Amino acid sequence: MIVDRRILPHLDWACVAALVALMAIGLASIYSAKWDFVHQAPGREFWKQLYAVGISLGVFVVCLLIDYRSLTQRSLIFYGALIALLVYVAFFGVVRNGSRRWIPLGGLDFQPSEFARVAVAMVLAAYFAGAQRLSRSMRDIAIGGVFLAVPLLLIMRQPDLGTAATLIPVFLGMAFIGGMRMKWLVVAAMVGLLLSPVAYKFVLTDYQRGRIQTFVNPELDPRGDSYQQLQARITVGSGGLFGKGFGGATQAGGYGFLPEAHNDFVFSALAEEHGFAGVLVALLLYLFVILRGLEAAKLAKDRLGAYLVIGILSGFSFQVVYNITMSAGLAPVKGLTLPLMSYGGSSLMATLAGFGLILNVRMRRFTN
Amino acid sequence: MLTSANFEDRQSFALRLVVLRVATIVVFAVIAVAFWIFQVVEHQRYEQLAERQHLRTMPLRAPRGILYDRNGKVLVRNTYSFTIAFVREQSANVNDAVRRVAAATGVDEARIADIVANAKKRRDPLYRPIPIIEHATLAQVAAVTARQVDLPEIVVQQLPTREYPEGGVAAHLFGYVGEIQEAQLQRPEFAGLELGAMVGQAGLERTYNTLLKGTDGIRTVAVNSRGREIEKLGEQDPVDGDRLQLTVDLDLQKAMEDAFRYSGYSGAGAVLDPRTGEILALTSLPSYDPNAFASGLDSASLNRLFNDPLKPFTDRVIQGTYSPGSSFKILMATAALEEGVITPDTTVNCPGYYDFGGRRFKCSRLDGAGHGVTDVRKALEVSCNVFFYTLGSKMKIDTIHAYAEKMGLTGKTGVDLPGERDSLVPSTEWANNVRKSPWYPGETISVAIGQGAVSVTPLALATMVSTVANGGTLITPHILKAVDKGDGWIPAGAAPPRSTFFIKPDNLQAIRDGLWRVVNGAGTGYNARIAGRDVAGKTGTSQVISNEGKKAAQGKTNMDLRDHGFFVFFAPRDNPEISGIIFAEHGVHGSNAATIARHVIETYFDKRDGKPLPVLPPPPALQKIGTPATATQGRATDGRTRGAGGAREGEGRAGRARLAEAAGGRVGG
Repeated sequence: MIVDRRILPHLDWACVAALVALMAIGLASIYSAKWDFVHQAPGREFWKQLYAVGISLGVFVVCLLIDYRSLTQRSLIFYGALIALLVYVAFFGVVRNGSRRWIPLGGLDFQPSEFARVAVAMVLAAYFAGAQRLSRSMRDIAIGGVFLAVPLLLIMRQPDLGTAATLIPVFLGMAFIGGMRMKWLVVAAMVGLLLSPVAYKFVLTDYQRGRIQTFVNPELDPRGDSYQQLQARITVGSGGLFGKGFGGATQAGGYGFLPEAHNDFVFSALAEEHGFAGVLVALLLYLFVILRGLEAAKLAKDRLGAYLVIGILSGFSFQVVYNITMSAGLAPVKGLTLPLMSYGGSSLMATLAGFGLILNVRMRRFTN
Repeated sequence: MLTSANFEDRQSFALRLVVLRVATIVVFAVIAVAFWIFQVVEHQRYEQLAERQHLRTMPLRAPRGILYDRNGKVLVRNTYSFTIAFVREQSANVNDAVRRVAAATGVDEARIADIVANAKKRRDPLYRPIPIIEHATLAQVAAVTARQVDLPEIVVQQLPTREYPEGGVAAHLFGYVGEIQEAQLQRPEFAGLELGAMVGQAGLERTYNTLLKGTDGIRTVAVNSRGREIEKLGEQDPVDGDRLQLTVDLDLQKAMEDAFRYSGYSGAGAVLDPRTGEILALTSLPSYDPNAFASGLDSASLNRLFNDPLKPFTDRVIQGTYSPGSSFKILMATAALEEGVITPDTTVNCPGYYDFGGRRFKCSRLDGAGHGVTDVRKALEVSCNVFFYTLGSKMKIDTIHAYAEKMGLTGKTGVDLPGERDSLVPSTEWANNVRKSPWYPGETISVAIGQGAVSVTPLALATMVSTVANGGTLITPHILKAVDKGDGWIPAGAAPPRSTFFIKPDNLQAIRDGLWRVVNGAGTGYNARIAGRDVAGKTGTSQVISNEGKKAAQGKTNMDLRDHGFFVFFAPRDNPEISGIIFAEHGVHGSNAATIARHVIETYFDKRDGKPLPVLPPPPALQKIGTPATATQGRATDGRTRGAGGAREGEGRAGRARLAEAAGGRVGG
């Protein structure tokens, strides 16, 4: 772990600035959404998130400074650690809201599944880059699929369908950029489409089915499942062009009409207080970060770096797009956080670790 | 950098990166458009939805205006009462909550369920408290407050309520306040009100509802998703209703009602200032205690009051119409004198009977003897029927009707009270168009002594006698004296007289002298005689049923068949300050009404002169007759001679009166 001073000028400071800006917007939204009306002070969640930002920036620096090649060489260790933690959670994890996801760590809850995307991306990048042929063979895809399936199934069992789903784009993104035949992609899409009714019937729980049903038909149960969806739409729509102002939320915040306004629905809270203008700024920042990531993949010195970047970026982009769509009431409600903005230390840490690696790849494009 | 050997791979890689980039930009553009649609295009719709769920406006009920008597004594004021209300929003299971609330308050479960179901039916918002127990007792309030944890859906509200410090005094005059009825919501005077609003439903409360109601305040609050109030966004204080000063004199009002109760009769009474039309006292008995209304009467008591055969809710003074009997002779005398049919000195010889159309009508003397040579003064004094039959035979019914119009015995008096009924004195036009059978001259004979189709309210008779008292001005009786909208008393102004005609001084003096002799001479009004006050008046007796009918019904009915007694009066004779009427329901004879009037007139003059007010001696046999609402007095039962009626026999005054004229038969006194 030797830091070459010559690589620092190649750090993508613009991207770092965008990441910090998004975290700041997230912090502001949590500050407002979790304002404690009784004590007239910011809520506990704000301070916890502030600490999480600090710790995550540390993780970010570590992931940036260690050469990604030496990290991916040890990807099986990370992957193994992830599987071990997920298995541990399956037996000893803390149950909240009917889902076993967390390992309590003295006040802070650690959620291993958040790190699955990075670990899977690392192990798949190492595997695909080590393969002989340029385009991915059926065998590569199958073995890669196994790497994907193990954590996916463990996370689905928690159950945490949302987080599990984010692993699939990691795999697909890498397969796509790795030259997987388009034919196969189309076949995979067809199979997925055909299997979805089966999955709907046999894999999903009643609760998950309920959410999909109310998404399709919100009038089914206005006070129940579709409540959040409706409230999300009202929250966003009532924000208007310039929003209700910082602290002026009537949907999110202490009013509590919008549940999880600091967490899964943080983007709705932003849309309410800062209106379409605030939404546009946040969307542009996310788009900027993703486009910079794609550029990092393009500039990568080797296939390993490119695959790694695309894997991490695919999971990130999918999660951002899905969460924002959901926050406008346009997608079924799933327990999926918005990376960089939502409350949650594990999520933030994993996201910044991922971006540490992405910028790591870009920064080392000239080194040997 | 990829190696040059992998050029093809690199090309494909770059191409796929472009695909990803374009796809990302497109997806973000679509998202931005979606947010644009929700936040800008459809903004107003969502803004309304958001406001509807977090903004709440609660009405703050304004206290109604206070009523004062002409001397500034408080007649009607406000107090606060507790209302226990049910908030559905706070309830997880409404049915279960209804059961718990019923158990805690001791109110019937089905009743509460009904009230809640009605609120649901009229689509009240979930957060609006539904009053389930109005005017709750302290015990009920304590019961629900102590169980607040188990009854999260219950709130106790304090609301302004009417209070009547004098109890049942002038109950019909004040009227009462009640929840607005669905049908009333459409009326322009109630514009902007919602179900649940309290409005005047009777009496002055209704007439002057617009002045009295004040302006309700509004409290706007923000609530959270659980309906808990987070902050107050604005509060508009309620504005009290206007204060009203009435022309009524509380002492006189009480004296009149006391005298009625003392006599044991129900009925009606009115005392006016004949110079202005101001009403000094106005009553109808039996009455009810409006406090019972204000403090929430249970439906059983309410039904009992509504179904009471004595009809305590009927304001007899404006809603009862009766045959005026001999008091109508005042109008006949005035009309005949003014029309020149007679002069003050014209005489008629009364042999004790009058033959008309082959029938013989008896005069008013019990012994059947005649009054002899009789002029108009004597005719009024002794209530000589023959004299007035003679006038009736010489006058057209339309002439009588014209004078009835001039003296206020047709239509409504225009008093500022709701629900007044029309008075009727017939005319040929009425006979042809309403009754639809021609008028026969023989009928005019009956009208001449106040019988036949004549049907008038007590207040109309009071305006009639006031016209004689003031020399020909038909005043409009009114109760509102002044209004204070918050910046001082402003006189309401006397209602303009409906018409004026000047009774020729000689004629007027003859009528006044005749009426003076009714009280101070040999007439039937001697019960109202007060030394030095020069009371003038006229009794009247109105049959409830014909003599033949009365005999036939003897012992077969519980209905009270005794005649009604009237006494119209003014005083002093030559410069009248007060005029009025006492109507004693089933009072047997007008002289019994005169007894009541005496106490009223005496009270007026004593108060005017600063003397101590007269006190009625304790009744000999009865301690409580005719308490309001229970209204038992005068009920004709088999035991009535032993009951209230029997007690009256011992009163002396009433007994004397009966001796004099009670057997006057169908022609009255």
